[in-house]
Amino acid sequence: MQSKMKESDPILEVENLSASTDNLPILKGVSLTVYPGEIHAIMGRNGCGKSTLSKIIAGHPSYNITNGVIKFLGENINSLEPEERSQSGIFLGFQYPIEIPGVSNLEFLRVSTNARRKFLNKEELDTFDFEEIVKEKLEIVKMDHAFLSRSVNQGFSGGEKKRNEILQMALLEPKIAILDETDSGLDIDALRIVASGIKKISNAQTGIILITHYQRLLDEIKPNYVHVMSDGQIIKTGESDLALELEEKGYEWTDNFIKET
Amino acid sequence: MEIIEKIKTNKSNDNLTEIQKICLHKLQSSPLPNPKSELWRLSNKSKLSNFLDYSVNEKDSKFDIPYPKNSQNTIRLIIGENCQIKLIKKNYSIQQLSEDELQKYIKEQISFFTQNENWSDLLNLSLSCKNNILGLKINGSKIPPIEIFSHASSNSLNAKTLVIFLEKNCDVELLQVNLGKENSSLSQSTFFCLKENSSVNHGVVSYGENRSNLLNSLNVIQQKNSAYNLGSLHFKFNYARFEISIKQSAGNAKTNIKGMQITKNDEQISTYTKIEFNGPNGFLDQINKSLADDKSHAIFEGSIIVPKIAQRTDASQLSRNLLLSNLAQIDTKPQLEIIADDVKCKHGATISQLNEEELFYMRTRGITLTEASKLQLSSYFQEIISFIPVSKDRWDLLDKLLHEN
Amino acid sequence: MVNENLVKDVVKEPYKYGFVTDIETEKIEKGLNEDIIKLISQKKEEPKFLLDFRLKAFKKWQKMKEPDWASLGYKKIDYQDIIYYSAPKQKEKISSLDEVDPKLLETFDKLGIPLTEQKKLTNVAVDAVFDSVSIATTFREELAEHGVIFCSISEAVKNHADLIEKYLGTVVPASDNYFAALNSAVFSDGSFVYIPKGVNCPMDLSSYFRINSGDSGQFERTLIIAEESSSVSYLEGCTAPMFDTNTLHAAVVELIALDDASIKYSTVQNWYAGDEEGIGGIFNFVTKRGKCLGKRSKISWSQVETGSAITWKYPSCLLLGEESVGEFYSVALTNNLQQADTGTKMIHIGPKTKSTIVSKGISAGKSKNSYRGLVKMGTKATGSRNYSQCDSMLIGDQASANTFPYIKSQQPNSDIEHEASTCRISEDQLFYLQSRGIEFEEAVSMMVSGFCRDVFNQLPMEFAAEADKLLALKLEGSVG
Repeated sequence: MQSKMKESDPILEVENLSASTDNLPILKGVSLTVYPGEIHAIMGRNGCGKSTLSKIIAGHPSYNITNGVIKFLGENINSLEPEERSQSGIFLGFQYPIEIPGVSNLEFLRVSTNARRKFLNKEELDTFDFEEIVKEKLEIVKMDHAFLSRSVNQGFSGGEKKRNEILQMALLEPKIAILDETDSGLDIDALRIVASGIKKISNAQTGIILITHYQRLLDEIKPNYVHVMSDGQIIKTGESDLALELEEKGYEWTDNFIKET
Repeated sequence: MEIIEKIKTNKSNDNLTEIQKICLHKLQSSPLPNPKSELWRLSNKSKLSNFLDYSVNEKDSKFDIPYPKNSQNTIRLIIGENCQIKLIKKNYSIQQLSEDELQKYIKEQISFFTQNENWSDLLNLSLSCKNNILGLKINGSKIPPIEIFSHASSNSLNAKTLVIFLEKNCDVELLQVNLGKENSSLSQSTFFCLKENSSVNHGVVSYGENRSNLLNSLNVIQQKNSAYNLGSLHFKFNYARFEISIKQSAGNAKTNIKGMQITKNDEQISTYTKIEFNGPNGFLDQINKSLADDKSHAIFEGSIIVPKIAQRTDASQLSRNLLLSNLAQIDTKPQLEIIADDVKCKHGATISQLNEEELFYMRTRGITLTEASKLQLSSYFQEIISFIPVSKDRWDLLDKLLHEN
Repeated sequence: MVNENLVKDVVKEPYKYGFVTDIETEKIEKGLNEDIIKLISQKKEEPKFLLDFRLKAFKKWQKMKEPDWASLGYKKIDYQDIIYYSAPKQKEKISSLDEVDPKLLETFDKLGIPLTEQKKLTNVAVDAVFDSVSIATTFREELAEHGVIFCSISEAVKNHADLIEKYLGTVVPASDNYFAALNSAVFSDGSFVYIPKGVNCPMDLSSYFRINSGDSGQFERTLIIAEESSSVSYLEGCTAPMFDTNTLHAAVVELIALDDASIKYSTVQNWYAGDEEGIGGIFNFVTKRGKCLGKRSKISWSQVETGSAITWKYPSCLLLGEESVGEFYSVALTNNLQQADTGTKMIHIGPKTKSTIVSKGISAGKSKNSYRGLVKMGTKATGSRNYSQCDSMLIGDQASANTFPYIKSQQPNSDIEHEASTCRISEDQLFYLQSRGIEFEEAVSMMVSGFCRDVFNQLPMEFAAEADKLLALKLEGSVG
């Protein structure tokens, strides 16, 4: 789909991916390639399959890949476990971050960070060293230290949960981050914090996929490419102005693309 | 079933106490519980008969407490070894109950017993000799934590009885530890009487070794404005029953229960609770967790009884269960029996595996499935274990459990 | 929302179906033995397999003990003091409805179930059962055009013996329980429904059961078979006159759903409940069970239980077929000295089976209302789910509400969730409604109706309205 020639190798290649859950097809041949430094936005109505795509890239066990491959840094990762994908640098920011009562946030973040560090052949951190690192990163998302002693996401407000996601992203330093509706349920201040967090973490070597309904996150983080999904397929790809057009004309406008194709 | 044969052919022994005689008499006509009754229908018959196969041992072999005291302060008692106690301090006193007080109280309790519902107690009291009954009267406040041990020696059946009176306004932390040695059966009956305004954090930790059995019965009477908090943990028994009966004799009391049982291999562990509110404004918050693995069987049956007199009762009971293997099974039956109309009662039960979405979330953060399961199990245990008094600061219980699961 | 005037009207009414139809009946002598069974079978000109079925069931019944585990207390039933066959005397063979005794037609008219060609309900085909026999079935020809068989079970025995022989007793075996065995031995009539492959039954089917005689029991038997990809909605209604003796009703209902078939079975039970002192009323001991035999089949029970002195009833689903679905929606209301012990059994046998239980119990007066249910996940029920919700509402401080959920799982890859709560109508809620000008009794019936909304939503429209009325009627004078 991308016309420009790229100098470096792609981070993520999704090739003609079809997938189903409980024998119900959800994705019907999705292709997508992300190069270092690129920001992609995927837009579409509820139920179009955009969240499913993100879960499948992260390896959710409830979905079966019926056709196609997902390549990460050139390797087929179709059969990798979710934790292996995470350790190798794929990050999924959840639309609804899961509450895990009883598991301390600090401990969770430390075990997770160490799993990634181990993969990168870096030294694992003890609680003391980790506290130092986490303090720095807390700044990025403007979170209070007290969040660390609470249970994972439990009793967090919508905004706090999303900031906790970005904190995890900052700690894990992924090669590619897929952020599923990270902007939903955020007030304008929280949205700015999250957006600036994402910008701080990303760089010329990382790729980002933003899954969203609305333009407002894209006002903060300008994507290189915008893809519109409908019924398990990418029906249109364009540059950032496509999102503006979509905002203006609504999703009914995209229904015409389907008739065309 | 050696014991049952003995009970059937009971020739009144001169050495028996009056209580033993009464209980033996009650058992004689039908020495075994009705296997079809609600309380016994799920109980494994051959395991129960294995429980009764060992011969009664009244004198224990020397018992080594498996872990050190955490501070000099802690008061330790071993039922059967040191039943003489008289501590009179400035703030508090702990004294033995007199023979009369003990007799009177137990006899009164027996008068309410039915053969089926209180079979475990009847068996206990008909076997428990004078030496193995510990009666305490506790008074005052700022009492150092108390630990009380019961244990069964290998190849024998040991019966231990504990009676505790908490006097008015008294406040105490008490941990009861029941230990079963290899191939042993322990019958433990505990009677708790909480006078007005008293409060206790009561912990019951029971664990066995290879092929050990346990019948653990706990009877609590709460007077007005008392608070009874129970944290319990049962694991590693071939066969164990934990029967809890709590009566708020005049309502207006608080009861908090957090219990857990873990079964593995072909073990069967069950918890039966019966909570009665005999007055208004009673409060109950109960959660029971089971975890069943391998070919094991975990059972929970809880009943909450709210008669007409118990208006404005607020009771909640939750049964949460994790089934970890294809061959394991879990039965649960949280039941409500209500006549009063101005009450808030609810109960709930779930049986499931570890939460898949939580596992996936952790795995997307690079935590392995095994580790994620451990974290989840530990949080599952944590809620209960943190509620068990005395042990919580130092016991390596949690580690021990995680190691084994 | 309850129609206000409607409630007002009915609140004042006593049990309005309590009249007795004065009609000459043919009764056999009281008592139960092999000869009586042979006599019933002979009167109904039954084939040998059915007589054998009855005699075998009778032998089993003689060896069984009456259950005592339900939390019900009732006077012992003298099974030799009951008449097991009672039928209104009619001309030998009836070729059309016009030949039915006008008194019978009038009876059903009064019950709101007109049967004659001119008056019959549109869109609902009715099988009317009077004491031991079915007297009329409407819309037969229309249904026959679609291949749907809807007739009394006696007729089905004569005309579709192969289906009866194949399916009778396969869901509820005669040995299942004491009352099922009794029914299997002496059942006199009931309804038979057969929906052929691929047919969605064009109208609701309905049976109306009327007990008229005070000294005869009613032992009807219903069998519904839904072939592959077919569907049917079936309604059952019941009333009885007021007698000061107790009458025994021991029915058996069997449902069979094959691949992709769906059966919806709704009951509004309004048998005479006895008076305020608990004298008289029906003993309602019923075995209802459906077998989801086929893949993706679905059986849905909805019931509104307001009548009977004693109810003992657990409509159940055996979920065998992969991805089959069982549902149970129930409202049970007890008042005065009524006792109800009702609930369901959801037995998950096949993989990916799902069940939902929603039970609402309302106890008023000195009545006793118990939910008793079993949810079981068998070893092969992987990926199966159950959700149960059992709520009780207590009205007055003499009524009792019990919940006995039995939950058993042998399959780790399955989920069971049970929730139960107890509430009463709060004074705040009542005050709020009253401050908006709503009368006290009306406010109460609005709240009760709101409490039952989840279940009423499952009922066919006509039934939902009737159910609302019934509840208001039954609660009369119980509040305040």
